[in-house]
Amino acid sequence: MDSLTLPATGRTPGVFFDFAGGHLRMTGESYPDDVAGFFGPVFESLRDFLDRPDGGAIRFDMELLYFNSSSAKALMNIFQMLETVARGGRPVTVTWCVEENDESMRELGEDFAEDLRHVVFQMRELPAGGAP
Amino acid sequence: MLAQQYASIKRDLDERGIVFSFSGYLSEGILYSLGEALREKMALEEADGPTIRRVFSVFVEQMQNIIRYSAEKMSGSAGRTVELSAGMVTIGMEGGKVFIVCGNTVRNSEVPRLKERLDHLKSLDRDGIKTYYREQLREEPDDGSRGATLGLIEIARRASDPIDYDFDAMDADRSFFCLKVRV
Repeated sequence: MDSLTLPATGRTPGVFFDFAGGHLRMTGESYPDDVAGFFGPVFESLRDFLDRPDGGAIRFDMELLYFNSSSAKALMNIFQMLETVARGGRPVTVTWCVEENDESMRELGEDFAEDLRHVVFQMRELPAGGAP
Repeated sequence: MLAQQYASIKRDLDERGIVFSFSGYLSEGILYSLGEALREKMALEEADGPTIRRVFSVFVEQMQNIIRYSAEKMSGSAGRTVELSAGMVTIGMEGGKVFIVCGNTVRNSEVPRLKERLDHLKSLDRDGIKTYYREQLREEPDDGSRGATLGLIEIARRASDPIDYDFDAMDADRSFFCLKVRV
């Protein structure tokens, strides 16, 4: 199992985890009717990947345009998993993508980045015009 | 008579600036469909993406609160679990701002805790709400809350004015709870 690909639906995000290349990406919107049911398998395959001993660099692109409060908890869980492996010496870079003028999403990025000590966190601005 | 009766309900809604209203059993499916209609309407009126997402975000959290916490529920597991929760949601315009009011029945025993949470949120300024959000984001959910605290903070955060709430006692066991948010 060297990748996890879940195409985005109306209310669940697109998940593109390329484990071989160390590139993780989430796109679209996240407000699943069953948060645990959706994120459970995502956590599981991410955990398996992070537990592998041959730890190369990891890049995580957070490109969600919207997520609800229960998805925020799930995302925080992913961030904490990444911080743990980064603390163990694995290079991890998180890129938090924000559409220009989306102050709410920018603020959320700051909230999530607050206690990252070992993960390199960067904010990237995207042009406006994605799905509303 | 029939048309007159319903025209009067419709007129009452119109006069209050209400654009969408739904009363009855709510489900995740209804949340999705109403949410899409809300976003399409705002997009047609040329609201920008961040504004639409702010309104949508308050809408989703309010609807999910009803679906999860309404004291008036039907559930069955005919094949898959469906949760139907009675409540009402109205969305309208008032003084150039969008407002969302949600109402549902709650048990009287839950009123003090809910009041306490809402009063705490109302007492906080922008920075206070932000700090509270950061704390709760890292907190394990408390028993039976299914993440309600973070949802309420999210609502307060996206609101442009302080949130308004009210309770109306129905009987010895239940009250009707209303939450009004302007975005």
